[in-house]
Amino acid sequence: MSDRTSPASDNLPLPLSTRERGPETSPHPDPLPEGKGIVDAGGGRLYPDQFIHNVAAALAGAAGEQTEVAWRRDRKGVLTGWCRLPSGVALLPAARAVAELQGRLAMVTAYLPERAQEKGEREIAYHFDLDGATLTLTVILPLEWSRVPSLTPIFRNCDWQERELMELYDVQVVGHPDPRRLFLDHSLPHAPFERLVPYSTFTNAATSKALWDKVMAGAREDA
Amino acid sequence: MSTKIIELGSHQLALEEPMYFRVQLEGDRVADLDVMPGQVHRGMEHLVMRRNLYQNITLLERLCSLCSNSHPSTFCAAVEDVAGIAIPERAEYLRAVADEIKRIASHLFCCAVQANVIGETTLFRRVMEIREIMQRAKEAIYGNRMDLAANVIGGVRYDLDADSAAYLAGRMEEMKKPLDELYLQYENNPAIMARTAGVGVLTREAAREWAVVGPVARACGIDYDVRKKSPYGAYDRLEFEVALQTAGDVRARNLVRLAEARQSVSLIEQCLDGLPAGPLCADTLPEIPAGEAIAKSEAPRGELMYYLRTDGSDFPVRLKWRVPSYMNWDALKVMLKGEPVANIPLIVNSIDPCIACTDR
Repeated sequence: MSDRTSPASDNLPLPLSTRERGPETSPHPDPLPEGKGIVDAGGGRLYPDQFIHNVAAALAGAAGEQTEVAWRRDRKGVLTGWCRLPSGVALLPAARAVAELQGRLAMVTAYLPERAQEKGEREIAYHFDLDGATLTLTVILPLEWSRVPSLTPIFRNCDWQERELMELYDVQVVGHPDPRRLFLDHSLPHAPFERLVPYSTFTNAATSKALWDKVMAGAREDA
Repeated sequence: MSTKIIELGSHQLALEEPMYFRVQLEGDRVADLDVMPGQVHRGMEHLVMRRNLYQNITLLERLCSLCSNSHPSTFCAAVEDVAGIAIPERAEYLRAVADEIKRIASHLFCCAVQANVIGETTLFRRVMEIREIMQRAKEAIYGNRMDLAANVIGGVRYDLDADSAAYLAGRMEEMKKPLDELYLQYENNPAIMARTAGVGVLTREAAREWAVVGPVARACGIDYDVRKKSPYGAYDRLEFEVALQTAGDVRARNLVRLAEARQSVSLIEQCLDGLPAGPLCADTLPEIPAGEAIAKSEAPRGELMYYLRTDGSDFPVRLKWRVPSYMNWDALKVMLKGEPVANIPLIVNSIDPCIACTDR
């Protein structure tokens, strides 16, 4: 237990900023010892309350005092945190706060929630890994003219996630460095997840010769 | 120096699935890379929203052949989390057995393909022969060489009786010596080292920046394995070390895979020794309520993540997954930079790329 209450955590002021945290520090204020020390009697992983407190403080500092994270701990002790952001404006500061906590962007899920049309709302969930714990920041956007800032300047691997999101849903990602289509063929309509598109059109199944011809044709257009 | 752009397809990249690269060359060295995925986009995320949760188990098993057990088991874990279902302990162990069998076969396949790419056909044949022990074990126990159909919501749909457990234990014994021998080959054989050491290097800093996972990350010294960081199923009761290397090159990635394959043998033996008695599946399943959940697992290529959102019906509102290959592709820009054209197929195969998983 002594490792978890090491004095290192005492001189860590809140809110966090990059100047105060080195680039290689753990998201835990007091890095947990590897091996047996991180497993409790029930076999679950222990996260110090300080960790939960730090994430809450960083997000509240970045995205407003009313920002709350609801944590769920599963049977193995693994934490998942859920935080809803009221608007796209809060996303960028919140993402920066997660980056300062050494979070890794794990996945981005855009979706039309249940009764989306009725409520006129859509959601995008940004899932971050914090050394084994998963923090999901969900931003609620209007159904029409949805815009979110690009997180690619903060998390390089957000590039593909956002390119995929932009082609499947009617969302504009502002400031993406390379907003080309990623997976979908140009013959498909924009945002097929929000339109009725026949499955065979959607998948655009073709032979390898046809694929190769298409790639070569694309190369000629670029030249 | 001349600058030139070339297109490479699956034949030139030595891939069995279609993926196209647009490579910018400076002389005969790679300067930049554009990956063009989506050539076999199957619209799987579109389909899963039009299938009920049970049908999706079958559909997701067909997402990828090499990690075919990771997809349904992680999806089931997400459904179980939403519904608060605790799976029986025996099922946790049997899910781990299925995952580890697939891991050995997947890692060996990757190492075999790379041996073939560098012209070591004898080694290629040897690795595939060793892998065949696992293929036959899968066929004997699950009735299929690739898709195991091992998972259901609430548990598993296969059992190991005394005979099949003894058979599997025998196969594990048979794997040990060849796996140790292969590790030494990939570690020390001068012909292999000449082609793999110092080739396709990804530094630890770049690995963090590109957020790569799995053996690609562990070969750069990043100590991250979902089985340790976010334990699930039986892994909190099984002993193993996270396989780590520091060089970040093609050789290091293969050594991580071979060390993991050897550890998977030990994990399967631990599961067989400690297999708890009891049911295979929860007896009665509750209705799946409205909710959302994240489930993660360590697939052969690294962290696999599922997000499930439900509305109380048996169709998902959204089911999204992110495969480990997803980030590894873009990191090829770093691994290939400055490499001669001739090394491209080897380096591409060293990330153990999965196109079926990426395109979906």
